[in-house]
Amino acid sequence: MAEYRTHMKIIGDILSTTRDDLQDDDGASVTYLIRKANISHSRISRILKTLVSQGLLEQVEAQGANKYKISQTGREFLQAYKTFSTFADNFGLTI
Amino acid sequence: MEFLLENILNLVGFLVGLGIGIMSLVGFRNTGSPTLFRLTIAFFSISIGFFVIWAGYMVEDFVIKAGSLERWIQTVGIGIQTVGYFFIAFSHSIKSFFPKSRYFRSVGALPLFLVSSVQIEHIFRSVSFILLAYGAIETMLSYFENKNKGAISVAVGLALLAFGEFLGWYSFVFPESILYPVSMAIKIGGLIALFIPVSKIPLTKIKFDESFDAD
Repeated sequence: MAEYRTHMKIIGDILSTTRDDLQDDDGASVTYLIRKANISHSRISRILKTLVSQGLLEQVEAQGANKYKISQTGREFLQAYKTFSTFADNFGLTI
Repeated sequence: MEFLLENILNLVGFLVGLGIGIMSLVGFRNTGSPTLFRLTIAFFSISIGFFVIWAGYMVEDFVIKAGSLERWIQTVGIGIQTVGYFFIAFSHSIKSFFPKSRYFRSVGALPLFLVSSVQIEHIFRSVSFILLAYGAIETMLSYFENKNKGAISVAVGLALLAFGEFLGWYSFVFPESILYPVSMAIKIGGLIALFIPVSKIPLTKIKFDESFDAD
């Protein structure tokens, strides 16, 4: 059975990929993130736009395509996300 | 003895609620998670509820000395705590006041049969018992899914609070018995069990970011 993921968990997965699992130094492409985060193109486009506007991801243009790298704010957010994810887990909840 | 236990319970409840509430608030401000927002409301309500009872007893015993305030203060405090317990249960996705799951109905029916009068405090205590029992069962079920050991401690804590609430409520039937002090001791144990896993969460390097507004 497929695991239900909250919006927050999907954001956590995208940020984790851009921090720990990059294809190359330029960043991760949208196609790569779609595969890693396992969501549709339209949904990830909206999320990426929000994450860039919030300053959690940096959008860079490499080889004619947009690529995404995690920013310092994104790293801090991801650390907070992981900490409070554990906190919520203790209450049997998902953030 | 009862006065001392009552004060310890209310102070421990106030501090534990405040500690977990602040932790949830920091989490909410950093991540924007609605779950953490609900936990913030829940634990601040629990904290305020315990504080109201403690402050009421103090004012009554050392300032007013009228002897008529305690019952109302206790009712108001327990009412505020019940709001907190509701938000814990709500975080476990209560969709309506009487969900259709069989196990909830089985634990929910018991106190409704035993409500002995229309006193508001009795109703609050029975509702608190239902919500706490629901929260304990859901937390234990989540442990079976995720095997997160902290969830056991929280489930035990909520279960002890539920049992303490039940005994405290049942002590109306046997006033002046040992039931009420035992219920308070059990609730103190429950609050400590609730706080143990939370105290192990490392908060180093977490910034209290006021500018971040999650989508």
